[in-house]
Amino acid sequence: METADLSHHISRRFNEDLERVRTKVLAMGGFVEAQLAKALTSLIEGDSSLGESVALDDLQVNGMEVLIDEECSRILATRSPAAGDLRVIVAIIKTITDLERIGDEGEKIGYIASRLATMERPENKYREIKHLGRIVSEMVHDALDAFARMDAEGALRVARQDRVVDEEYEAIHRQCITFMMEDPRAIRRALDVMWVVRSLERIGDHAKNICEYVIYMVHGKDVRHTKLEDVERDLQAAAPTNR
Amino acid sequence: MIATRQAWWFALARIAGVVLLGLLVGLALGRIYLGLALVLTAALTWQLLNLFRLDYWLRDRGARDPPDAGGVWGDVITQVVRLHRRKRFHKQRLLRVFRELRHSTAAMPDGVVVLNDQLEIIWFNRMAGRLLSLKRKADLGIRVTNLVRDPEFLRYLQQGDFTEPLVVRLSAGAGLSLSFQVVPYSSNQRLMLVRDVSRQVALESMRKEFVANASHELRSPLTVITGYLETLTQDEEMDPTLRAPLAEMRRQAERMNRIVRDLMELSRLDYSDEEVDGEAIDVRALASMLRKDVLARPGHPAVSLKLESGARLSGDEPEILSAFSNLVDNAAKYTPESGSIEIRWWVDPAGEGHFSVTDTGIGIAAEHLPRLTERFYRVDAGRSRATGGSGLGLAIVKHALQHHGARLEIVSQETVGSTFTCHFPARRILPPAEGGNIAAITVTDTALS
Repeated sequence: METADLSHHISRRFNEDLERVRTKVLAMGGFVEAQLAKALTSLIEGDSSLGESVALDDLQVNGMEVLIDEECSRILATRSPAAGDLRVIVAIIKTITDLERIGDEGEKIGYIASRLATMERPENKYREIKHLGRIVSEMVHDALDAFARMDAEGALRVARQDRVVDEEYEAIHRQCITFMMEDPRAIRRALDVMWVVRSLERIGDHAKNICEYVIYMVHGKDVRHTKLEDVERDLQAAAPTNR
Repeated sequence: MIATRQAWWFALARIAGVVLLGLLVGLALGRIYLGLALVLTAALTWQLLNLFRLDYWLRDRGARDPPDAGGVWGDVITQVVRLHRRKRFHKQRLLRVFRELRHSTAAMPDGVVVLNDQLEIIWFNRMAGRLLSLKRKADLGIRVTNLVRDPEFLRYLQQGDFTEPLVVRLSAGAGLSLSFQVVPYSSNQRLMLVRDVSRQVALESMRKEFVANASHELRSPLTVITGYLETLTQDEEMDPTLRAPLAEMRRQAERMNRIVRDLMELSRLDYSDEEVDGEAIDVRALASMLRKDVLARPGHPAVSLKLESGARLSGDEPEILSAFSNLVDNAAKYTPESGSIEIRWWVDPAGEGHFSVTDTGIGIAAEHLPRLTERFYRVDAGRSRATGGSGLGLAIVKHALQHHGARLEIVSQETVGSTFTCHFPARRILPPAEGGNIAAITVTDTALS
């Protein structure tokens, strides 16, 4: 009776630990989301001081990553989790790396935005970046939502969005090349825009990665480097056994 | 009750009858005990049968009618049925009330989320689901901070002071501006109200932009007008009858200039409600400077300084200067030459700093005090215009102090005088500069000096 109580006690403490780390990951995710939103705003509205503040605040993201990493190591060392719990920890360790990278890309965008703010703005006021930025921000948001809800289907839906981002990236790429050929004076700005778009595309990839970790966490299936259609079929086949 | 007792007597009589019957049967058979045993077994079986029927019926009540039994058994069954009916009635009534309550909260135009002490979502209504994009059933039991991840929102929930609602512009989705208000209503539950304030926020920023733009646009034409008026008033060949009107025009133009300047200052302060970081401000030097400004006015009252602390203030120097100078200006304006002004700066034992300006001027009636810091509020329109105020001074003071987490206190009595005190929180107070004079400085002068 006593041992049962004890083990129950230990597992409850363990669950609390796990839940706390998950909450921290999501808090970090929220911060990164806000950073990305600010970076995009600074670019679109030409607010150089906001862009600079984004670049500075990236330090906090790095700090959060280190802290969560440490906590995960501690849990691994002291609790030696197994099965689903182990998958959660592994997924968290991978997720924070991607979140940190998203933060880095956001920092880059903020930095470039503060530089672009001093230059002449194009006529369309970076409409294409605004559009791509919205898709990518939503991807990050939905990926984190899927992480919070342990929602593999939602994660798959987000991962599918990555194709749209890639297409959009390709389109802006072409557009920039056209601009540069038309007017060599626009090359400097167009190159900066390319950097921003490239960062956004990378962020989309990181969001997709996070979705893959969510699927791994829920179903125990490593779906990296697998075609999405195959993943979908696999998940549908696996679903009845999971319920 | 009486019927029940009768039934029990009847049951007792029946038992006696059964025993008697048993005795008779026994006598007839020649074996008393056998007869008795037979009859009692039969009676017991009957009782058991009734018990079985009751049990069977209780197991799935509602599906069938209650068993039909007479005597004590009938009584017991009737009681059970009555009890059951009463319970069902209460339950239904409770359910109805509960359902109505839930429908009414669900239909509320504001979002409502019930959280437990772990901040996990227990229940939310339709509006909250829409505003925060929560999913109907799946999101119950998930921490709200896991789904609403805005850093400002997290900070608001963690700091635990819910007297002021929080307004946040969520970056996800349609970019709504939401106002959050948390109400702890029991030891382990709290209610979170969510409202869409996007419209108000947009209106507010439009208003601010309008004031900023309008004051800016008014400036250039005014500069031209004052410029020409200046030249005209200095023109020697000007018709003497026009001199007085021209001088008056110039004065009014000056006043308009001041109003525009104050409006611009105010719209700059208005731009954000966030507290400013600060540099160290030497309050003593500031106070001495303000005193000299007053002494430079013609017909000024006496000004004394009572600087009890050498502590410095952490804040934005131009904002603090404009707040303090507005207070001292007001005091000088409304105090006659025979009166006096006292400027005081001290730090109390709790570490809070206080800057006060006391005058022996005309004072303000109590009914005006609450509205004094409103824009363009005037206690006495004629008097204030005569002194050339813009009507924005105290609004500027209020906003500048808000940026420093400070507040303004006004104590006044008509014909006796007023005291305006700025209370600064302890975190804004810095120790005196190295090598600075720690002792209190007191400068007094009389009206005659």
